[in-house]
Amino acid sequence: MTTPRRSGPSPALVLLISAVATAAVFLGILVLQVPAGTPAADYPSQISDQLANVWASFFPPVATTEQGRRTHDLYTLVFIIAAFVFILVEGLIVFAVVRYRRKPTDTELPPQIHGNNALEILWTAIPTAIVALLFVLSWQTLNVVDAREASPGEVRIQATAARFQWTFQYISSDDNQTVVYDQLTPEMVVPAGRTVHLALYSPDVIHAFYVPQFLFKRDVVPGKLNVFDFNVDPAMVPPGPEGATFKGQCAELCGAQHWAMQFTVRALEPKEFDAWLQAQIDAQSAKPSPAASGAPTGVVLELSAKEIAYDKTTLEAPADEPFAIKFSNNDAGVTHNVAIRDASGTEAFTGEIFPGVDSRTYAVPALPAGSYTFLCTVHPNMTGTLTVK
Amino acid sequence: MATTALDHAAPRYRTRSALYDWLTTTDHKKIGIMYVINSFIFFFIGGLLALGVRAELAQPGLQFMDESTYNQLFTMHASAMLFLFVIPMLAGFGNYAVPLMIGAPDMAFPRINALSFWMLPLGGILICSGFLVGGGAAQSGWTEYPPLSGAAFNPGSGTDLWLMAVTLIGTSSILGAVNFIATIFKMRAPGMTLFRMPIMVWTMLVTSVLVLLATPVLTSGLMMLFIDRNYGGGFFDPASGGVVVLWQNIFWFYSHPAVYIMILPAMGIISEVLPVFSRKPLFGYKAFIFATAAIGALGFSVWAHHMFTTGQVFLPFFSLMTFLIAVPTGVKMFNWIATMYKGQLTFQTPLIYSLGFLTMFLIGGINGAFHAAVPVDFALHDTYYVVAHIHYVLFGGSVFAVFAGIFYWFPKMTGRMLNETLGKVQFVLLFIGFNLTFFPMHQLGLSGMPRRIADYSSSAGWTDLNLVATIGGFIIAIGLLPFLFNVFISLRNGKPAGDDPWEANTLEWATTSPPPPYNFDHLPEIRSERPVFDARHGAATGH
Repeated sequence: MTTPRRSGPSPALVLLISAVATAAVFLGILVLQVPAGTPAADYPSQISDQLANVWASFFPPVATTEQGRRTHDLYTLVFIIAAFVFILVEGLIVFAVVRYRRKPTDTELPPQIHGNNALEILWTAIPTAIVALLFVLSWQTLNVVDAREASPGEVRIQATAARFQWTFQYISSDDNQTVVYDQLTPEMVVPAGRTVHLALYSPDVIHAFYVPQFLFKRDVVPGKLNVFDFNVDPAMVPPGPEGATFKGQCAELCGAQHWAMQFTVRALEPKEFDAWLQAQIDAQSAKPSPAASGAPTGVVLELSAKEIAYDKTTLEAPADEPFAIKFSNNDAGVTHNVAIRDASGTEAFTGEIFPGVDSRTYAVPALPAGSYTFLCTVHPNMTGTLTVK
Repeated sequence: MATTALDHAAPRYRTRSALYDWLTTTDHKKIGIMYVINSFIFFFIGGLLALGVRAELAQPGLQFMDESTYNQLFTMHASAMLFLFVIPMLAGFGNYAVPLMIGAPDMAFPRINALSFWMLPLGGILICSGFLVGGGAAQSGWTEYPPLSGAAFNPGSGTDLWLMAVTLIGTSSILGAVNFIATIFKMRAPGMTLFRMPIMVWTMLVTSVLVLLATPVLTSGLMMLFIDRNYGGGFFDPASGGVVVLWQNIFWFYSHPAVYIMILPAMGIISEVLPVFSRKPLFGYKAFIFATAAIGALGFSVWAHHMFTTGQVFLPFFSLMTFLIAVPTGVKMFNWIATMYKGQLTFQTPLIYSLGFLTMFLIGGINGAFHAAVPVDFALHDTYYVVAHIHYVLFGGSVFAVFAGIFYWFPKMTGRMLNETLGKVQFVLLFIGFNLTFFPMHQLGLSGMPRRIADYSSSAGWTDLNLVATIGGFIIAIGLLPFLFNVFISLRNGKPAGDDPWEANTLEWATTSPPPPYNFDHLPEIRSERPVFDARHGAATGH
């Protein structure tokens, strides 16, 4: 009644070819990554570097906070168990596929095994034990990562996430909780080693505060103030006023320019941080009304911003004489400005940040001839080229 | 008796055109096939939208579209794939197979069955018509979180069309679920006890219960959002005393069980195919049923794991339940492998796709377990890692199972076999393309690339992997061409299938291919979950 069926050209081969081809393409990409002109002798070490990079790419970045380090450890543990389960189960599948192919001589039915209670209890109980263990460990980690203990000397910051920018308000440590300094550039400066207590506020839609190197994100929910604490690991922060900078960006879809809603976290040594914060507070109280920059003389360049983009990507200005930029911000409620950087990246001019719809006329000091970049401090993706000649 | 009645009724059909016949049919088989065709149309639409997304992300910078268009593309890609492809496709298989598998002449409510089908193309047209209105289609992601999806930030009517379409599609699901439950409980042939039902029928039963309990909750949420948008309801607006996160609770109370709605019937297909092509019964039939029921029950207690980062969720409970749901899923995986153990595997296309399911769904299960650990979820939530995860579950899992089902039942549906070689070529292309597209997304997510971003900086270090993913996406698209060609030539010149080309187990193979209206003129004895196997080999062989 049953006739043996032709089992097709090399049965397991289809799966095997698929797996090998996928692996080959990945390997090919690795080889292509080696810079052209590399001596042949250096290829092995280059490839092994690449392989180390690939291995590292299966893990989150090195954590720069104490909380993130705990998360990284937990990730590594889950990864080891996952890799073990993956190899075991894929191995069983491949074994069954290779071992139990139907041969032309197989005319009789194979043994009709309907089940095995002992085995089934075993492979229910063991995974239950594994996930129970993982749950307990992850709960313990959670209690550290998500801990909230008011500690003396902690720095309180409120991050305001609005479409499509981040600002950071430094809150006084007394009970009044007044804003001592409002950082309008999308850069949060924090001290290493000290606890930073961050409150997240949104006036419009949901955003998410996400710093990959913290291994952490938390949603910024309108109508609800979310808070969390973190401690930047002092070992990650070099001495000096520059400190260490970590990139962050909004991780919850918030509209068209969601992708451009980026910020940085700059961690400083505590004494550098205190000096920085004091300098900002002093500068803020000393600053006269920045809009009153006097009647502009000489050339006036026109520039406007709409939907998180400048209307021009190139500007031209005369060399060695002051000029002015008349900047119109046409994004209602969104802050912009114009800053100018020279070829080395040094800020040559930074215009006042202000919300739209409004306009300012910036008086720019004389610049030597050359090519400059102009950009919005709030939205570093808004850039253009300023040619001074 | 039955045969006489059929002959008597037959001439009436011939007086109408074939088109009229299909448009007005209440035959579950024709409706099932229409479900499948309709779902494939939206699969191709959703696929084209995905190619747009991949093309834009291949390189830093905005090359092909502005951000708003990009947001529309990924929103509509997900909406089409989930609401108009995976869910209805599996419902279509259920529609076709369930009455046949339990020895019934049709669904319990044939006209409601037709109604629930016809709501789908209507819903599909409605949702896609968003592209034609001012402001464009829905663009707040398929999750449509307010306030972003509210009138203040998305005033265009695309979102309203989306809400109406999903309500319509949901209603279609609810009607279908009632129909499946009634059919399975009331229409089984004599001898077809609950514990003799094929696993496919069991998975459709559990799926229908999930749909019935979860979808009305989503519908209420859709109504609230519609009222918020159009009449100032304030359900989700904090300024009016509403709660933003309430939407997420409602949405995920449906949409997490919906993941099981999208995977349980796929598991059912795999559980039909593996025993047939191993020539063995499914290992641990009852354990498999209990595991299915356990997934269904636990599926209602894990929804908030989509919301760990909102800061407004009781974390340990949802973490524990999410870990636990891995257990019944693992049981199934072991049952499938044990089914192949000591079997006699023949590598025809249904088995090949099933093996694709096993190997890829395994990854989708494992990389999902990472998120059950809340701190790890804090790191990975809303990054490309999650995009990798959902595609390993829904493409590596559901889509491979859909093709296993197509290659398995196409002979029954049409009376002709699909071409095996073309089927294998398609598999290799899909398998390679799928892994190239979605595997690098793990690494992108780990290195911090958020999902739903239209652009990224060239200094972010994401360029190479994105290019790989885009190449993979286009390989998937190319891989679907052999399938279309295959269906085209096989419908005309495919090898005649006969009643039972696979030497299968379940009742649909005891009738002709394609089956006549009302399915059977006689049924074999039903003494186990494999009545056709028993009839072929004698009941004593296997039991």
